[in-house]
Amino acid sequence: MVEFRLPKNSTVGKGRIFTATPGATNVKNFRIYRWSPDDDKNPVVDTYEIDLDKIGPMVLDALIHIKNDVDSTLTFRRSCREGICGSCAMNIAGENTLACLKPIRDIEGDIAIYPLPHMPVIKDLVPDLDGAYAQLRSIDPWLKSDTAPPPDAERRQSIEERAELDGMWECILCFCCSTSCPSYWWNGDRYLGPATLLAAYRWIADSRDEHAGDRLDALEDPLKLYACRTIMNCTQTCPKGLNPAKAIGRIKELQLERKA
Amino acid sequence: MSNPKKPHITVMRSQLSRARGLGSGQAGVGHWWAERASAVALVPLSGWFVIQVFRLAGASQPEVAKWGARPLNTTMMLSLVILTFYHTQLGLQVIIDDYVHGKAHLPAGLLMKGIVFLLGLFGTVSVLKLALAGSSRGRIAAG
Repeated sequence: MVEFRLPKNSTVGKGRIFTATPGATNVKNFRIYRWSPDDDKNPVVDTYEIDLDKIGPMVLDALIHIKNDVDSTLTFRRSCREGICGSCAMNIAGENTLACLKPIRDIEGDIAIYPLPHMPVIKDLVPDLDGAYAQLRSIDPWLKSDTAPPPDAERRQSIEERAELDGMWECILCFCCSTSCPSYWWNGDRYLGPATLLAAYRWIADSRDEHAGDRLDALEDPLKLYACRTIMNCTQTCPKGLNPAKAIGRIKELQLERKA
Repeated sequence: MSNPKKPHITVMRSQLSRARGLGSGQAGVGHWWAERASAVALVPLSGWFVIQVFRLAGASQPEVAKWGARPLNTTMMLSLVILTFYHTQLGLQVIIDDYVHGKAHLPAGLLMKGIVFLLGLFGTVSVLKLALAGSSRGRIAAG
């Protein structure tokens, strides 16, 4: 449901300021959303003055520095630190992206860091993605084929058939796109969101899959698929440079094609 | 028996159950396509209408009535009015789907469709009145 104001218990207050060590010359302010489930307090934004000369170039480097050397209570997800695991997806300077791929020097002024928008928060920068994962599970994101594979080989594809999957297999399921989408904010309980629809089209387009019709049946819904209003935030925000909006458009085309 | 008024977790349904929900509504293609098809049709119709408005600027009432009585103009006007209001209710339904949830969703859609239907009908009757009244007057004048 559309919400124009934050609920009372989500109003963000001012937090603490962690000053840089004296003598630091290359200081940047990181304003980071903080909320803990362990007390009944509202979220706050803490400010960390960080000496950029001491850390690596990416926003994730700053977060790891804060957790290691400044404030160990800061909570965030990270793993591969090279843009392949999707763990460190968060809202940095107003844009959903991966902290490990976002260079600090690309951002002017203070850097505001919030969790992915409009998801329940578990703690600090860690959103609850259980609902999004369940939606992905609901589209059966795996190969469904009734023809047995060759006994002595893999299922083969032509070069052209394989090329159909380019721009989709690269998705790392960070959910930057889904959580940037107003349709997903307002109708996330039924609209599947760009990440899941990209995954759905990835299997519809796979020449080895034999259940495209079932998959299209399952998506033919006013909200599951058609709540997409081609806002294109998904494509604009994708840290991997993919185009979920195009995949959704292809699904809509196929839905129409099979009616005639 | 436990006390139902005591604060407690009210939803223990699994996330997968919630994601699957009531399944697919098996609808949406028609609405989506109708929205686009009517939008495309309205481009030339609206262009034609704008041109006619400029051509009729400053015309007298009988001149406009005569214009409105021509079968081609009536056909174009009816197409424009019907498609405009048809497209309007498709678009407003999308806004209601997005922003009105729960029990208010169905009545909001019905109310909107009712109002748009009446407005569209009013426009249709107006065009027809111009068309038919013009022709009868013409006949009387001729007779």
